[in-house]
Amino acid sequence: MKQVCSLAALATLCCIGLPALAQQAPPPAAEPGWAKGRPKTEAAMQMAPIAAFPIPTAPDKLPTSKFKLPPGFKVETWASGVLDARGLREGAKGNVFVSSLFVANKVYAIPEQGSHQAKVVIDKLPMATGIEFHNGSLYVATSTKILRYDNVEDKLDNLGEPKVLYDKLPGGNDHSWKYLRIRDNKLYYAIGAPCNICDPGPYAKIYRMNLDGTGIETIASGVRNTVGFDFDPKTGDLWFTDNGRDWFSEELPNDELNHVTKPGQEHFGYPFCHQGNIPDPEFGWGKSCDEYVKPAALLGPHAAALGLTFYRGKMFPAKYQGAMFIARHGPWNRTKKYADISVAWPDGKGGARIEPFMTGFVENNSYLGRPVDFLVLKDGSMLVSDDHGGAIYRISYAP
Amino acid sequence: MTRWAAGLVCLAVAVALVLMVVSRQLGGPHHAPAAPASASGSVATSAAPAATSAAPAATPYAQRFATLCAACHGPNGRIATPLTPVLAGQPSLYVITQLFLFREGRRGNEAMTAVAKTLTDDDLRGFSEFIGTLPPVAPPPPAAPPDPVRMASGRALADQYKCVFCHGAGLAGGQQVPYIGGQHEEYLQASLRGFQSGTRPGYTPAMTGAVSQIPPADLDTLAYYVARFGDSAGTLTRQ
Repeated sequence: MKQVCSLAALATLCCIGLPALAQQAPPPAAEPGWAKGRPKTEAAMQMAPIAAFPIPTAPDKLPTSKFKLPPGFKVETWASGVLDARGLREGAKGNVFVSSLFVANKVYAIPEQGSHQAKVVIDKLPMATGIEFHNGSLYVATSTKILRYDNVEDKLDNLGEPKVLYDKLPGGNDHSWKYLRIRDNKLYYAIGAPCNICDPGPYAKIYRMNLDGTGIETIASGVRNTVGFDFDPKTGDLWFTDNGRDWFSEELPNDELNHVTKPGQEHFGYPFCHQGNIPDPEFGWGKSCDEYVKPAALLGPHAAALGLTFYRGKMFPAKYQGAMFIARHGPWNRTKKYADISVAWPDGKGGARIEPFMTGFVENNSYLGRPVDFLVLKDGSMLVSDDHGGAIYRISYAP
Repeated sequence: MTRWAAGLVCLAVAVALVLMVVSRQLGGPHHAPAAPASASGSVATSAAPAATSAAPAATPYAQRFATLCAACHGPNGRIATPLTPVLAGQPSLYVITQLFLFREGRRGNEAMTAVAKTLTDDDLRGFSEFIGTLPPVAPPPPAAPPDPVRMASGRALADQYKCVFCHGAGLAGGQQVPYIGGQHEEYLQASLRGFQSGTRPGYTPAMTGAVSQIPPADLDTLAYYVARFGDSAGTLTRQ
């Protein structure tokens, strides 16, 4: 997500939404939030966030044939021409919903049968990025609102006006887009830090609310920017990716994979401590990394770890059942680029073991594609969105 | 010719490396026949079926620029019309993002949206790639010399509000950032005010955020300064 950070002055965040946030949010910054902490060296000054390209890659130019997977796995292009494809969620009547960020401002529906032509079902909705499907309804979170469209699959031609569940999200640009999950009739979302590095006040937390928008509770604090989380089907615990601060150095800190064991009581370090063992050079004074929950695993420097999904299907070999797939979208503020799909296994002791699963997204230090989110289909195959190419790939396994 | 596509991978990558990928992305100048617009543009461009692309795909975009764009923007990409922006010197990635915003109807300009809606994805690539090759054109000598006091305050404001963070010391932009030095003052003024009021959406929220705290009078001073930047600096140079 880091590549789409913006130049917004922090003050814009203070003007909208939660009164509590308005009182505590940081004062206006003299430089863009994403640029805070950037060294004044030429190499660093040339780096700035980039958005997805405005045109999807033509189907025959997609990097599908270049991807490498473990033996027995196959990847194919499942859909193309899906501009800015981000979040993936499955309906109940054979549709896959796809969200986008600020390039497309759309939500698409793609029928699982047939030629997988994307149909725009929501348009001109800025930062329509957080989506979830539950009991026939599509939940959509922008940077300011959480909306619910009911019975969506029966009226894809015209979803009609949504019910506004909540309209007091703080908005802004830095890390303000959403990722959603629903579990046990609670809607989970996060409010990312409104900057690269700053005192985030009530930002930088994972929250949950009732499905009618009431009863907001804090689930985790000290979370800089998570745009991928899921619940372990075995334990019910929440696991999330978190994007580490920028500009510390090319190689540090790592993005984190985190494990919530005491909902509402844990602080994961930001902005005081990074990757569990590096005190922030500014905010770390007077703090110790031992005060904060350490990551379950490190995900690489500036990796832009995005979507996280536990594999609940049966098609993949047993070793992958119950494992987490993690999309490493790849850095914008690091000279050497990398991106892949990694897989992580909870080690039962609070940590996790990680290995690469699908590679081939980078060639000659440039991105051919950038993975964002996953969806395990009913047959056990897994879809992967790519906002760089505007495509969705399907990974299947046949021994 | 491929600067815009370099930006989609990263601003900081060595240009030589980027160019290799660019040629893959573009598929070269004869990309169009191999990739019908209906395939890559079926979602984003439902309003632009391939049939509306009247000119043959093989037509060089230099020629199509001359017939479609030059009347308003000038054959070399600069014309004196105050609110018609200078295209000469603009990076092709910036150009394609703006053509995209016009085609989507997000950037409000009826004339440009009408033109852009006739363009396929390949047209957007072709036009932006060509426009990215237009060299910067210096503005004609001003009728009156720039007001040194106003220029000094403009320079201070550009520093205070970090314009050079993205637009570069030479205000020449690059990648998705436009070349603004020597742009028409009226156009700059309208753009800055539009970013602030929300009537001018950017491809990213960058400018909206960057100008959100700037008093309107300072926006106008910035426009004055930036429009005359080439004069004060001696030459209009690309970074």
